[in-house]
Amino acid sequence: MSSETREATGINYRKLFKDPWPYWLGGLLLGFLNILMFTTTGSPWGVTTAFAHWAAWIYQAVGGSVSNWAFYQGANGKALAAGFWSNAQSIQNLGIILGALLATLLASQFKFKKIKHWRQVVAALVGGVLMGYGARIAFGCNIGAFFSGTASMSLHGWVYTLFIFLGAYLGSKLLVRYLL
Amino acid sequence: MAEHRLDCYGEACPIPLLKAEKKMKTLAVGDTLVVLTDHSCAMKNVPDWARKQGYDVDLEETGDGEWEIYIIKNH
Repeated sequence: MSSETREATGINYRKLFKDPWPYWLGGLLLGFLNILMFTTTGSPWGVTTAFAHWAAWIYQAVGGSVSNWAFYQGANGKALAAGFWSNAQSIQNLGIILGALLATLLASQFKFKKIKHWRQVVAALVGGVLMGYGARIAFGCNIGAFFSGTASMSLHGWVYTLFIFLGAYLGSKLLVRYLL
Repeated sequence: MAEHRLDCYGEACPIPLLKAEKKMKTLAVGDTLVVLTDHSCAMKNVPDWARKQGYDVDLEETGDGEWEIYIIKNH
């Protein structure tokens, strides 16, 4: 390879794997992939319903039972009985984690980050519980309820959008007050 | 022409950006702010913000997943 070609390849690798992609390109890809997912699996992209199943599988593994829970009557109960490898959303979530790992490795940006302050731990735990609980009672997270909900022209997606703005406003006030 | 270093390692969005904005206000014209971050979003949104303010910006990858963002307060 001549030095010019090597240089050009270096620039292409950098553009493709290291530099951040523009927001519009990410948006287009997400829209396209969601259509693909909808046409192949029959349901649009979602993330957090599978997390509820993961927790339920763990709970069952240690001897718990969720069979009389309202949430696990009907379709969710069937998904739970079918197991992890028959649950498209669980596989998709696994794909997101592995894909993110691959992307950060290809960019040579993998790093174990230090926890800087105990307040970060408290914020992460409290935030995680609130988001998990909120995602269940709102019929989805910012993927299932907002992204796929609005794309399906479902009213719940737009109600969700209104309240996520209010929540983000409140959350940013708390963040400035306690974490900055 | 002093150089101020702002350690934002281990901090996620939007904290590095908010800290940089706050710190920048305390700098004298001609000073440089160096934001140290290991958060890939901050490597995009901090330079984006600084360029929008009209500051001179330079981004250096100092290690795997670590960056130093140089912002010169030129006005």
